[in-house]
Formats: sequence, structure tokens, C-alpha cells
Amino acid sequence: MGDSQYSFSLTTFSPSGKLVQIEHALTAVGSGQTSLGIKAANGVVIATEKKLPSILVDETSVQKIQILTPNIGVVYSGMGPDSRVLVRKSRKQAEQYFRLYKEPIPVTQLVRETATVMQEFTQSGGVRPFGVSLLVAGYDDKGPQLYQVDPSGSYFSWKASAMGKNVSNAKTFLEKRYDEETELDDAVHTAILTLKEGFEGQISGKNIEIGMIDNDKIFRILTPSEIEDYLNEVA
Amino acid sequence: MSRGSGGGYDRHITIFSPEGRLYQVEYAFKAVKAAGITSIGVRGADSVCVVTQKKVPDKLLDQTSVTHLFPITKYLGLLATGMTADARTLVQQARNEAAEFRFRYGYEMPVDSLARWIADKSQVYTQHAYMRPLGVVAMILGIDEEKGPQLFKCDPAGHFFGHKATSAGGKEQEAINFLEKKMKNDPAFSYEETVQTAVSALQSVLQEDFKASEIEVGVVRKEDPLFKVLSTEEIDEHLTAISERD
Repeated sequence: MGDSQYSFSLTTFSPSGKLVQIEHALTAVGSGQTSLGIKAANGVVIATEKKLPSILVDETSVQKIQILTPNIGVVYSGMGPDSRVLVRKSRKQAEQYFRLYKEPIPVTQLVRETATVMQEFTQSGGVRPFGVSLLVAGYDDKGPQLYQVDPSGSYFSWKASAMGKNVSNAKTFLEKRYDEETELDDAVHTAILTLKEGFEGQISGKNIEIGMIDNDKIFRILTPSEIEDYLNEVA
Repeated sequence: MSRGSGGGYDRHITIFSPEGRLYQVEYAFKAVKAAGITSIGVRGADSVCVVTQKKVPDKLLDQTSVTHLFPITKYLGLLATGMTADARTLVQQARNEAAEFRFRYGYEMPVDSLARWIADKSQVYTQHAYMRPLGVVAMILGIDEEKGPQLFKCDPAGHFFGHKATSAGGKEQEAINFLEKKMKNDPAFSYEETVQTAVSALQSVLQEDFKASEIEVGVVRKEDPLFKVLSTEEIDEHLTAISERD
């Protein structure tokens, strides 16, 4: 990967045993727009703010929530360009798995392979870690699942999680409201309320994105008008 | 947090700074501004227009060779703001990619595909130490078969967005403020209005009236989706229309 002149790792240990590049990558994630995910009894919902730099930007050209396979979706907090690389690699890995085993890739396996890619960029020569954390939402034979993957390549399964600017308030809010028996629709309402907590300005179907998957195992990204319907139910 | 600054290399190659920023990418943005040119792009209801300054620093230079507006295919244009040498590499690679796309898939490369390809390439330069980011902001324009007129802007960080109107270069922020006011109510500009909005935005922001030889204008129109660079006479017509209007 890259020039031989740079075949040494740029992420190296500090005297205290820390990998500072990874810590800085996490700082980059922490200054990104808030995103969150909630695992319900019958599905998973992920959501994010979609704040654009100007009203001149065509919001229909931007989509932060992406589909990796028909039953797995992903959202990120942090550096958009880095997330595109990971989405592309994950989609390819899912396809390669299907080609080999003739069955859809389980969520855990896709998460593990994506996390491996992220870890490689913390150790390989001449590259920097990814400046994104991912929330992967999927529904397979093991049921609904939500995973968070960090720039270091470590991943955990979560009942509910948040990332980005407003992470501590969002997580406190989620901890109070989380209930394992929640239905998916209620989880969407909770997700909206959590985003609303730290939202600057007027929340609408155009400046947030919501993706969900229920027991039909098809990941869907909501249209702005569908989001408006949920917003009206919450208000 | 000992040795936080990465040994001071965070300013020389694209690794993270302690605040989680990429200084090299930020410096690339500054290089775009330092080139001293401002560009503007506006998307109308059935056309897209981009306009940029044409500064010829020396009278002995051949003016026709000084350009920032490049056709990528017959239907796609690219306006490069920033370092001209970096722009030429980018254009060369984009032309190659668009031609291969046409060969591989049998149809013309859409605007957003090209913009995404350019942005993904720029992202690689922000993550791999062996190549620096390019000091260019690229505006891509074309008519999409399904979505109509499209204007995309790609920057050194690897971001790309579709725009209703945008600007790049030295007076980028002033131009964007001007355009936000004009486009606030989602107007549907005709071809003439699109060109005049773009040109008058540039005039207003730079506070000077141009001669036709001092600016470059590129357009695509739904009824004639070929990317066209306007001739001096055509530019003059629009300039006259603007001055008569005011």
C-alpha cells in the first residue's frame, strides 16, 4: 500500500503506551455531527443530523445513511470522505461472501471484516486511521443487531448508542429511555427525541436522516415526508 | 497526553493533529484561496452556468492557453479553482476515467459519478502519506438524463455535494452570501437568468465590471447538453444585458 518510502507505520506508541493517532481520530469523530442507533424488540433504527454547510447545497445529493446489503445499513459520525471508503469496501466484502457461500453475510461477520480494515489502517505503512465511527444496523437469523465500530477497529454490540458532538447528553437520554421491550415505531420516536435534544435550529425531514429495519429484514431509508410524519407524531 | 503533536509531522503529512484535524488538508484549502481567482456556479431550471476570472499576468502570454475551464467529455465540464498544475493532472485523470466509463458501461458517465470519483481520489490523498492533497476545488457541470441540470463541487478533503449555486476561491464566502440571498426562495432560473446571476454575482463580489476577455463562462443546457465555453461575443451579449438591466 503506497510508496516504499512510507513503509513504516505512522501510528506508533507514545512513551505512555498510547496510540495517539487513534486518539486524535476519535477527537475527529467527536466533532462530527451527532448520530445514534437503537435496537428495538422487532428491529433497529439509526438516525443522524444532516447539517449542510449552506442552503445552496442540494440536500437530495447527500445521503449519510447507506445500505451495505439489503438487510444491513450503516451511519457514521466524523469525516464523510473516509466513510465512503469503508462503505465501498464493506459492500464488496458482503458480495464476496455471498459469492463464496451463496447466503447473505451475517451482520457480525460484516462488522468484523469492516473493523479489520479499520485496524489495518492503524498499523499499515504510510496511512492514517479512519476519522469515522460507524453504527451498523442489521437484521439476520440472530435477530436485530446494532454494532458500533471505532477508528481503532474495535467493535461492540449495543442496545442503543450515540456518537459525535452531543454524545454524552444523547447517551444519558438513551440510558433513561431505553427499554428492551420497545417496539420499532417507539424506538424511532425515541431516536427523534434524542436528536432533538442537542439540535440547533428547527428539526425537519430535510435536516435529519433515519434508516430502519424491521422483521421483514429489509433496510429502508425514510423519505423526508415519512420523517415529517414521525416528527408530527412526536411533537 | 504525552507527545500529543505527533512529533510535529502533523503539519507535513496527512496525519491527525491533537484536535482531530488534518492540517495538510486545511492548508490545501488555503492554497486554493491563494491562487487569487474566484469562481461561481449557478444551476437553473434547465441549464448550469459556471464563470471564473481570467487573469493573464503577462501581456506576452498567449491568452488562449490560460484557462481554468476544461471539457471532460462532450457533455461534462470541469471548472478548476486553485493551483493550475494540480488542476491539469486532475483534468487528465478525469478525462481518462470518463472515457473508460463510457467504454466499460456503454453510456455516458453521469455528473455525480464523476464527482464521486474525483472526491474518492481526493480522499485517498488525505489518508495516504505518500501523496499530498491537490490544491484544487473542482466544479463539475452537466445535464443528467434523469435528474436534469447538475452542479457538483469537489474539494481537497474529498467532500462532494450537489449545489443549486456555489463558489470557490479567494472571495468564496462573499459570493456564497450573495448567492444565498438570490436563491433563497428556490427560484427556477431560465438560461439567461442563470448566466446573468452567475456573472453579476462575480461582478458584485469583486466590485468591478468585467470586459468579456477578463472572464471565462461555461454552460450546459437541457436543449443542447453539450458543454460549451462561451465565446467573447456571447459573453459580451450577457454583460450588456446585465448593465442594461441595472
